Amino acid sequence: MRLGMVIDRKRCIGCYACMISCKQSHALPPEVFWNRVLISETGTYPTVTKQILPVICNHCEEAACVAVCPTGATEKREDGIVWIDADKCVGCRYCLIACPYQMRTYHSDNKKEYWPGQGLSELESFGRETFYPLQPKTVVKCNFCMERLEEGQRNGLQIGIDREATPVCVNACPVKARTFGDLNDPNSNVSILIKERKGYSLHPEYGTEPSVHYLD
Amino acid sequence: MKLNEWMVKPTPQTEWIQGRGILLWLAFFFIELGAGIFFVATFFGNLWAMLIGWLVCGVIGGGVHILYLGHPFRFWRMVRKPGSSWISRGLIFVSLFLILGLIQMAVVSGGGSSLVLTILVDILAFLTIVYGGFAMNCVNGIPLWNTALLPILYAVSGIWGGASVALGIALGTGAASTIGVSLEEWIRLLLIAYIGLIIVYFISVRYTNLTGKVSVQGIVSGEYWPLMWFGVVLIGLVIPIAVVVISLGTGIENMSAAVLYIAILCELVGDITMRYLILKDGLYSPLIASSAYAP
Repeated sequence: MRLGMVIDRKRCIGCYACMISCKQSHALPPEVFWNRVLISETGTYPTVTKQILPVICNHCEEAACVAVCPTGATEKREDGIVWIDADKCVGCRYCLIACPYQMRTYHSDNKKEYWPGQGLSELESFGRETFYPLQPKTVVKCNFCMERLEEGQRNGLQIGIDREATPVCVNACPVKARTFGDLNDPNSNVSILIKERKGYSLHPEYGTEPSVHYLD
Repeated sequence: MKLNEWMVKPTPQTEWIQGRGILLWLAFFFIELGAGIFFVATFFGNLWAMLIGWLVCGVIGGGVHILYLGHPFRFWRMVRKPGSSWISRGLIFVSLFLILGLIQMAVVSGGGSSLVLTILVDILAFLTIVYGGFAMNCVNGIPLWNTALLPILYAVSGIWGGASVALGIALGTGAASTIGVSLEEWIRLLLIAYIGLIIVYFISVRYTNLTGKVSVQGIVSGEYWPLMWFGVVLIGLVIPIAVVVISLGTGIENMSAAVLYIAILCELVGDITMRYLILKDGLYSPLIASSAYAP
């Protein structure tokens, strides 16, 4: 199995729902983003095109972060998810530097507030201490909501099909721009989309073989 | 930078130079300089230089590197992936170098010598000098780093710095009359090699891709040009070159110690400045095209 995601840029409207839902469901502190939406313009007036690109960790098949991690904290699972064992991470940030897509963040301070000077709100405290605690001074990143996927699988749900076994960013998208499934299954929704719509990945020249593909 | 503008144009790396990242800049410098001092000192049997090199590498460089980590007490875990991680390999090289270097110094201080041990320590010292360059070289998202010339540049600067400091130590310990001339020969050759490498390095990165071009422009004529032209070129190269030219005429033994110390200090300032520029101006190629990005 190789879990992957397809993002349809033709459908994406840049609403940031994916980014916000990820933030909420993982109680991420300020300046920590596991999902981002990049916006730029190409061309010159009058032929200007707005470019919107949602980006997440690509969970690469040949992940640079896995290779460079000196402690083995960053690992690639059998299902293709690249995850970080925070207990092994020393915070050297080599993985962060090595990632050519810059999808990792160094989580330095668990006490950083969204409302500076007002202390952590009840929700922030609950989120960071109970709901989804992140170990400070380690590197963090998108993990395809692996806890959610595992829970869904235990309950007999289908990954990428049933909402409770699908990453939150996929569920949150109002225009269904995101699809999640098994890239190794030629009959899966993601494989069919990539084949029919000529899906591509970011910077293939790096040789990382990303598991996130885009459709134009 | 606005949130949505991140990675739509060449984006600088920050973790290895900003905030606590400054410690990593210093760590790489002192580790490589210390190993360079030790490496050169073994060729001349200068025990004081070996000791100072060992301390600079292990205590200052190694200590600062460990301080940089988010969880310093877990540093022992960093030896677990030498098959793929240059940081892992580097920690092994440094550790073995320090252990064997200590033994080497004990042997030399006892009046003995061991060719096998010397060769082994020199190999480890050399690997310690270059591992940082390789660690940066394998980051394929940053064109300024992803070049085979970077480890070579660091190797030359590490040994050049080592030779310079070893000369300074020889001057201070009264050994200049015996090894000063040889060390000056090393320094002249390494200086020429360093200048050539810097030029080739910048030219080669400039033509890698658009991000490489922006990186080089940033250093040579952009935001960081004062550091480049005053720190690296004027202080780090022109002054040492001038001293070398003078020494060619008068002979190293007739030169004022103060002038030589100034040249050594200038060389170190130039070296550390160059390393700062390479870390500071390490730009990632953008993920999405933008016409707003103009070199």
